Amino acid sequence: MKQGNGTVPRIGVYVCHCGTNIAGNVDVKAVVDFASKLPGVVVAREYKYMCSDPGQSLIKNDIREKNLNRVIVASCSPHLHEHTFRHATLEGGQNPYLFHMVNIREQVSWVTEDKMSATEKAKALVEAAVYRVRYHEALETKEVPVNPDVLIIGGGIAGITAALTLANAGKKVYLVERDYSIGGHMAKFDKTFPTLDCASCILTPKMTAVKDHPNIHLFTYSEILEIDGYVGNFTARILKKPRYVIEDRCIGCYVCVEHCVYKTPKFPSEFDEGLGLRKPVFIPFPQAVPLIAAIDPETCIEFKSHRCKKTCQEACRDLVGRDAIDFTQREEVVEVQVGAIIVATGFKTFDARRIPEYGYGRYPNVYTSLEIERLVNSSGPTGGEIVMRDGRKPRRVGIIHCVGSRDRNFNPWCSRVCCMYSLKLAHLVRERTGAEVYNFYIDIRTPGKGYEEFYEKLMQEGVHFIRGKVAEVTDWTITPEETGKLVIRVEDSLVGVVRRIPVDMVILSVGLEPRDDAEEVRRQLNISCSSEGWFLERHPKLAPVSTFTDGIFIAGACQGPKDIPDTVAQAGAAAAEALALIDRGSVELEPNIAVIDEQKCSGCHVCIALCPYSAIAFNEEKNVAVINEALCKGCGVCVGTCPSKAITQQLFTDEELLAEIEGVLLV
Amino acid sequence: MEAIQRTVKYEADLSPQFSEEIRHLPGGETLWHCIQCGLCSASCPLSIYMDYTPRRIMAMTREGFKEEVLQSKTIWLCASCYACTVFCPQQVEITHIMYHLKQMAIREKRYPRNFPIPVLAREFSTWVRNHGRVSEFWVVFRTWRKIAIGRLLRMIPQGLKLMRLRRLPISVHSIRQRRQLKKLLAQMNGGA
Ligand SMILES: Cc1cc2nc3c(=O)[nH]c(=O)nc-3n(C[C@H](O)[C@H](O)[C@H](O)COP(=O)(O)OP(=O)(O)OC[C@H]3O[C@@H](n4cnc5c(N)ncnc54)[C@H](O)[C@@H]3O)c2cc1C
Ligand code: SF4
Ligand code: SF4
Repeated sequence: MKQGNGTVPRIGVYVCHCGTNIAGNVDVKAVVDFASKLPGVVVAREYKYMCSDPGQSLIKNDIREKNLNRVIVASCSPHLHEHTFRHATLEGGQNPYLFHMVNIREQVSWVTEDKMSATEKAKALVEAAVYRVRYHEALETKEVPVNPDVLIIGGGIAGITAALTLANAGKKVYLVERDYSIGGHMAKFDKTFPTLDCASCILTPKMTAVKDHPNIHLFTYSEILEIDGYVGNFTARILKKPRYVIEDRCIGCYVCVEHCVYKTPKFPSEFDEGLGLRKPVFIPFPQAVPLIAAIDPETCIEFKSHRCKKTCQEACRDLVGRDAIDFTQREEVVEVQVGAIIVATGFKTFDARRIPEYGYGRYPNVYTSLEIERLVNSSGPTGGEIVMRDGRKPRRVGIIHCVGSRDRNFNPWCSRVCCMYSLKLAHLVRERTGAEVYNFYIDIRTPGKGYEEFYEKLMQEGVHFIRGKVAEVTDWTITPEETGKLVIRVEDSLVGVVRRIPVDMVILSVGLEPRDDAEEVRRQLNISCSSEGWFLERHPKLAPVSTFTDGIFIAGACQGPKDIPDTVAQAGAAAAEALALIDRGSVELEPNIAVIDEQKCSGCHVCIALCPYSAIAFNEEKNVAVINEALCKGCGVCVGTCPSKAITQQLFTDEELLAEIEGVLLV
Repeated sequence: MEAIQRTVKYEADLSPQFSEEIRHLPGGETLWHCIQCGLCSASCPLSIYMDYTPRRIMAMTREGFKEEVLQSKTIWLCASCYACTVFCPQQVEITHIMYHLKQMAIREKRYPRNFPIPVLAREFSTWVRNHGRVSEFWVVFRTWRKIAIGRLLRMIPQGLKLMRLRRLPISVHSIRQRRQLKKLLAQMNGGA
């Protein structure tokens, strides 16, 4: 037989049952018998759980006793256990890269219905591996130091929690927030379920702590332009957008706002969901962190006509003596080096206009839940008083659950927090207005500590619960008591009849969605998204805050809908994972990188322009291209394009791939 | 007072084959996505007259309540407007399922006997199958004869008026190539 790297291959093949996961659909014994007869195979065994301690011992002992120099395990995905078995190979006394893994679970037993063909496919894959490993060579991993600083993207409650945890552990944190203030969605709420504690009472101290912490460098009104590098050694370019107010001069005194040429606020406030008004120069909300004014160039007269009296600037200079306003401020790019990144970019709410039957945008008294959060907030546009757009106090209120959620026409997922926040809003509305409140739900989902108790409390308060998905909100009235009201048409599915329920105010409990730019962020960071667009965790149970890119972690609602308690727990976990990485001090880099054979390189430069990671430089003296091992990600682009065939990729050499193909076709 | 009857359902009262049969008809499998939200009932313009709301028909069909479903007026009141199907959050083919249920009710002769819509549907399709087109007089006559003879007799004066205006011809018109039509229909019904 052909030999790979000179040594005579002595191969051990281990086929895993994975309980019944594999054995239930693949004839493991047949695969082992088949493997034992393949050229170069010295031993072939089956075992119930190869990843268990006794399973790994089989490998270690065989290496020592039978002088194995190649190891193949046919089991689950390499994502799960490649590391485990490489380690076992090393402990047995062989180079870990003389090991190769065959996936006969995700790629065979779980996806092949017929046991016969599953077994045949497993055999083919094992044979491919036997042919391939001949060409395996001992490879060395490279150790690189880890930069101890951390970048956190998104300053909602997730980003804030992770930043404080890391900073308190003595790590330097760069927190980048796109908005003018940190706080995220939570900063908009008045109360939080299920304990109804005041959101700003528990959030504001944390926000201030972020601002005052010596280890946290806060970038607000900033975005990530680009991320480069690899685990332990990332470079981030941060774009600081101009707010036209010099940050370290502004003291948040509101004098500029008071002296704006607009005597009264005129433009819809983004923070108040358009229910309140602001001036072109504004501070988004009283607890904002940092408490710094900003000028919106879209509405400021100076930016539109250059003919404003600029009374704000004058007041800041002459009355406060700070001279903080700078109409010529430009954007700025800052570069930081970090070892780990935590992504905490949160969610956006479903656009209720997409369901025209519910009349949002058409009937002024139809609101989204986020608008009501501002309306019940004591620092909101009405000072916490619940009045409708027409100035009336509502006497009958309908809350429609699952708007945009659990609906294949929009988003099939359950948004998880809407049942609970609907109950919260029902309680607040009833408490403050005494109105009759109707909740229209498909299922009430209150799985959480104290949540079911909260639901029971609401029922005792006399809130109506009608089980049925609302078909329509209409101003077309039939009976006298409907006159002047909005009518909700729904099947009361517990009674089994269709009802028309007149109300003054409708609240749409809009669901949670991935942010519009999630795909862009995903690409910048080279992480994955689920098909819905939520950032994908490495393992749904066992690695919930890791991603498939080492050194990048996710926390909070950017990973999927979740409430504040879960978000905070996840943020803590992400901080701990980042700490573990930093305190390890160094990381091993996989040797699956490209290498250039200097003898063959003709110096044509083709590869240099094509490398997406700018990892190839040119050595003028020797007239050859040189790959920077630390930058190469092993994507293989240069390997495929080199006209002189001078580049090979370790672990994926031409010989290895061709042998694998040959093996798979032989069965 | 009417005698009290038991309303409990024993498994023997139900028909699992019935729901299996629906599952295998086109669109039938979508019934297993239904989350019983009631949006179909609330968007249906006719549910206010139905004996069971469309949502209940979905639940009963899935659970094998064959007698109740096939004898319900709901399936015959369905106007095939497709409102429910358009809005259903689970994309259940409700209107298609209603059609399957109607066909099954006719085939098994389980439809409510003196409810006009299924009788009309049957007479209509029989007449078209035999003659290639409808004759209003004969379809109306045969339908009402089956549902309520008394009503039919009371219709005579109006009928005569229409006949005088030549709006209700008694003569039977048939299309020419009836045999071909029969073949065509047989083909569409799966060669039967
Ligand atoms: C109406 C409503 C009421 C709710 N009520 C409650 C409640 O009472 N109790 C409860 O426990 N939960 C409640 N929730 C859920 C709660 O909002 C979330 O659990 C929480 O906000 C998640 O926090 P987060 O930090 O992950 O995301 P977010 O709050 O969305 O914060 C994300 C932050 O990241 C920033 N960001 C986004 N993209 C970028 C980017 N590319 N670069 C830089 N920065 C970026 C955003 O500006 C934002 O500040 C409610 C939700 C809604 C919609
Ligand atoms: S609308 Fe669809 S999901 Fe809802 S009850 Fe009707 S069939 Fe079921
Ligand atoms: S198709 Fe039938 S069941 Fe569906 S809404 Fe229309 S009438 Fe009602």
